[in-house]
Amino acid sequence: MKKHGAMPGKEKVTAMDVVQKGLARRYRRERWFRRMGLAAVLASIGFLGLLFVSIIGNGWSAFTQAEVLLDIDFAAAQFDVDNLARANYGALVKKSLQKLFPGVKDRRQKRKLYRLVSSGAAFILQKMVMQDTSLIGTSRRIWLPADDEVDMLLKGYISRSVPESQRRLTDRQIGWIDRLIADGRLKKRFNTTFFTAGDSREPELAGIRGAVAGSLLTMLVTLLLSFPVGVATAVYLEEFAPRNRWTDLIEVNINNLAAVPSIVFGLLGLAFFLGVLGLPRSSPLVGGLVLTLMTLPTIIIASRASLKSVPPSIREAALGIGASKMQVIVHHVLPLAMPGMMTGTIIGMAQALGETAPLLMIGMVAFIVDVPTGLTDPATVLPVQIYLWADAPERAFVERTAAAIMVLLAFLICMNGLAVYLRRKFERRW
Amino acid sequence: MLSKDACRAIVLLAVALAVSPAAAGQGRDYISIVGSSTVYPFATTVAEQFGKTTRFKTPKIESTGSGGGMKLFCAGLGIETPDITNASRRIKKSEYATCRKNGVREITEVKIGYDGIVLANSKEAPRMNLSKRDIFLALAARVPAPDGGEKLVANPYRTWKEVDPALPDTRIEVLGPPPTSGTRDAFVELAMQGGCSTFAWIKTLKKTDKARFKGICHTIREDGAYIEAGENDNLIVQKLEANPRALGIFGFSFLDQNGDRIQGSLVDGEAPTFENIASGSYPVSRPLFFYIKDAHVGVIPGMREYVAEFTSDRAWGEDGYLADKGLIPMSAGERQRYAADAAALKPLILDDAGN
Amino acid sequence: METAQAALKISELPFLAEEAPEGEGGDETTAAGSQGTVGEPFVENPRMSCREVNVFYGEKHAIKDVSIDIAGNEVLAMIGPSGCGKSTFLRCLNRMNDTVDTCRVSGTILLDGMDIYDRSVDVVPLRARVGMVFQKPNPFPKSIYDNIAYGPRIHGLAESRSELDAIVEQSLKKAGLWQEVYDRLDQPGTGLSGGQQQRLCIARAIAVQPEVILMDEPCSALDPIATATVEDLIAELQEQYTIVIVTHNMQQAARVSQRTAYFHLGTLIEVGPTDRIFTNPRHRLTEDYITGRFG
Repeated sequence: MKKHGAMPGKEKVTAMDVVQKGLARRYRRERWFRRMGLAAVLASIGFLGLLFVSIIGNGWSAFTQAEVLLDIDFAAAQFDVDNLARANYGALVKKSLQKLFPGVKDRRQKRKLYRLVSSGAAFILQKMVMQDTSLIGTSRRIWLPADDEVDMLLKGYISRSVPESQRRLTDRQIGWIDRLIADGRLKKRFNTTFFTAGDSREPELAGIRGAVAGSLLTMLVTLLLSFPVGVATAVYLEEFAPRNRWTDLIEVNINNLAAVPSIVFGLLGLAFFLGVLGLPRSSPLVGGLVLTLMTLPTIIIASRASLKSVPPSIREAALGIGASKMQVIVHHVLPLAMPGMMTGTIIGMAQALGETAPLLMIGMVAFIVDVPTGLTDPATVLPVQIYLWADAPERAFVERTAAAIMVLLAFLICMNGLAVYLRRKFERRW
Repeated sequence: MLSKDACRAIVLLAVALAVSPAAAGQGRDYISIVGSSTVYPFATTVAEQFGKTTRFKTPKIESTGSGGGMKLFCAGLGIETPDITNASRRIKKSEYATCRKNGVREITEVKIGYDGIVLANSKEAPRMNLSKRDIFLALAARVPAPDGGEKLVANPYRTWKEVDPALPDTRIEVLGPPPTSGTRDAFVELAMQGGCSTFAWIKTLKKTDKARFKGICHTIREDGAYIEAGENDNLIVQKLEANPRALGIFGFSFLDQNGDRIQGSLVDGEAPTFENIASGSYPVSRPLFFYIKDAHVGVIPGMREYVAEFTSDRAWGEDGYLADKGLIPMSAGERQRYAADAAALKPLILDDAGN
Repeated sequence: METAQAALKISELPFLAEEAPEGEGGDETTAAGSQGTVGEPFVENPRMSCREVNVFYGEKHAIKDVSIDIAGNEVLAMIGPSGCGKSTFLRCLNRMNDTVDTCRVSGTILLDGMDIYDRSVDVVPLRARVGMVFQKPNPFPKSIYDNIAYGPRIHGLAESRSELDAIVEQSLKKAGLWQEVYDRLDQPGTGLSGGQQQRLCIARAIAVQPEVILMDEPCSALDPIATATVEDLIAELQEQYTIVIVTHNMQQAARVSQRTAYFHLGTLIEVGPTDRIFTNPRHRLTEDYITGRFG
């Protein structure tokens, strides 16, 4: 531009020449910018791919579980019909193993042999008998979960090549395992336990159902509270509240709240919901309340933005035929703003779904075996389950951690997909 | 847009909110346990067994750390407070006093076994043979000057060989837990303090100037040789695999589960094995405890039975399922004594607890 | 003005964005008051009667002492250069300016003898009596049927579905749209062409049976053919309604109106029968504008 100003005195250079001169540089810059953008996108896709590959690579094996086929003899003599729980179900498993390996006599070796089958096997048999007493007196072939060490060996996570002293399975145990495999009695089968059981300290018995139920209950509370409150707040601030220093202050504070570290909400929940209101610790109710506090700013900000984006011409049209302020909002503005509000809500909920820090303070980071069924039952949530499993010493929990992450990611993808779908479906152009 | 259904749901929820404290006030039918993350794997195993083999619900166990657990436990009586807290160290006098002040007068202490703290490295590297003095010299922020004399200098050692010529010539690189961790507390107290007490002049400080003594013995260097690797011991194990030169500090159960990848260093000539820790010859080990709120026994269903399960030989015995999980059992005599005390709910007396 | 807790900012309103009053310091304008208006602003038996109306947007004095009568069943055209305040004045007639926070109106505006700015007057029924059609067609994103039925529904004008059907049909017929849409009443109103949309908006205004219809440049977004259709419609509607139309297009004013008012920088310069204004303007500003010297 400077050059341009100095031009008149010098030799004749037309405007077109100047433009031509700069043109190459302009295009170069554009190309450079595009390449940078493309590189950034590719890099993020790469990292995402890496994440997925590592998680799926670690986790897919958790969907199968080594199981042992045992001939269980529910001999009638062992059961007391009045007290089925008292029967020694562990002995049933032990007996059938003894039958398979009659050569094992030494007490220590026997214990090693019994350890190949999960300690949960006895409970599975107990449940079966309690549900169907006609089993008593019969003999059945039943697939029972193998111990997590066996599972790890079958999946190749335990190397046979390291010296015996450094393995958790002895050479003898591996010998038995190989025989079971050869007999077709030891196989990897689909791991239904992972989806139907609550938490457990035994990896082969651990499942995510408790955590999923806890997450759903917590999200239910969060949704029922944060959506109406968030939308109502947004409508009031956007449509009714006068513009003055107070509303500015409120607006600034809402924006600040959205950026507050989530653990702070946990502390607030601890002090208020547990301390003052005396609500039950570790319950989805309190978890939902805390996550509501965390989600509200997101919903309010998104709702206000979508209210703002409703064109004024629609408001005028309604006002012009005599609709009252409330009618304008309820009949016209809200329906048009709703997709945006729902998108904001879903994104806020997805955030809340992945949160652990605030739940730590209110006792939801806990070992809970029973699947929660109500809002005041003790419960945990999916990300907390992941966090707890990641910290467990048993190696079989590594793959279960990854599998639980896959489930969480699936939930998040579904929710975000729903948000996109809703936006597409209800988006209107004027 | 607030459809009638949505309105109804909100009202219902509000009612639920109003009613639930009252509902919660009616009682709790499960045991609430808090406390140490070191005891967590053992307590959860017992809880699960207990839940499956009895008519009681499975206890809820929060991993809050020993100190956090004590704070919750000592907050008072009543169903909103925990019934049992786990600890990887003994209750402190100050915590005991807080408990009493808040009405938690009768507490029963149950020692459950030992946990060894190991220094381990990758199998690809040679096994280390360290003394506590080596550990102190390698990891303390300030150490006695290498030329002798009662003078402290900022830790000058870069490699293990500089600490002790018998050690390999590799850079000192130790991955360990952050200060919030109970494992770190125990490590500092047992290994570091043990090592620094081998200097006679520092040892005398313990009597004359306790604060200075602690300052010297308990402060870990912050120049990069000690790397805080977070509370997740699995992560440390993974990092050791990737970096054979590094040593890691964590609980015995992780070494137990990963014996094919990592090896525990000898400390004062003793290997961190199950037997050595149980016999007490491995020096870096600590007792683990849980504390029972006696006033809750009989109010919360199943507490006696839970304690009985924990203190049964099938749980904490030499061949019990907790040993499988890496707990180092006590001697038969000790087990018997603690089981009897627990069954009788023998209250802990402060002066006994001398800390 | 207690109802004027408005959600809209001035800058958001389309009519203001286009016609923001440019402020003082114009050209040779004399700040003519109502007495300064040339021509015949007053009529006998007016439907609406405005006296010394002043409008302020914050500090800005947008309308200055405007006094004018609007007779029954007439079409009054308001013309003038951009920013002269004609739209602002139009929006005073059904208190649409209430939606603007900073807007203050003084003076009196009577509708059939009732002061519409009186404290006791509710804007909701007022806007049912004084309907409005906007510059850009703005049908609701609903079906054609619901667009028309919305007003009668909220005002409770129809007791039954069949009555409502009748109102919708009549309104669409009056707006000359029935033939084009009777077979697709459930289709979205936004799917119609621009001219159809504007007639839909007119039908929507008619459906609540107003006495006065305010039209704010109703044809500025339409092509010539659609414009002609709407103009024909205005002529038909005149039999039943009083219509005030703001327009940029002088030919349009000449075609559809009986009386014309010329605004200049917030002041009403001249009012008179349309024929006379266009053939024999008395004020020099009016003449300059009509002959195309500015605006």
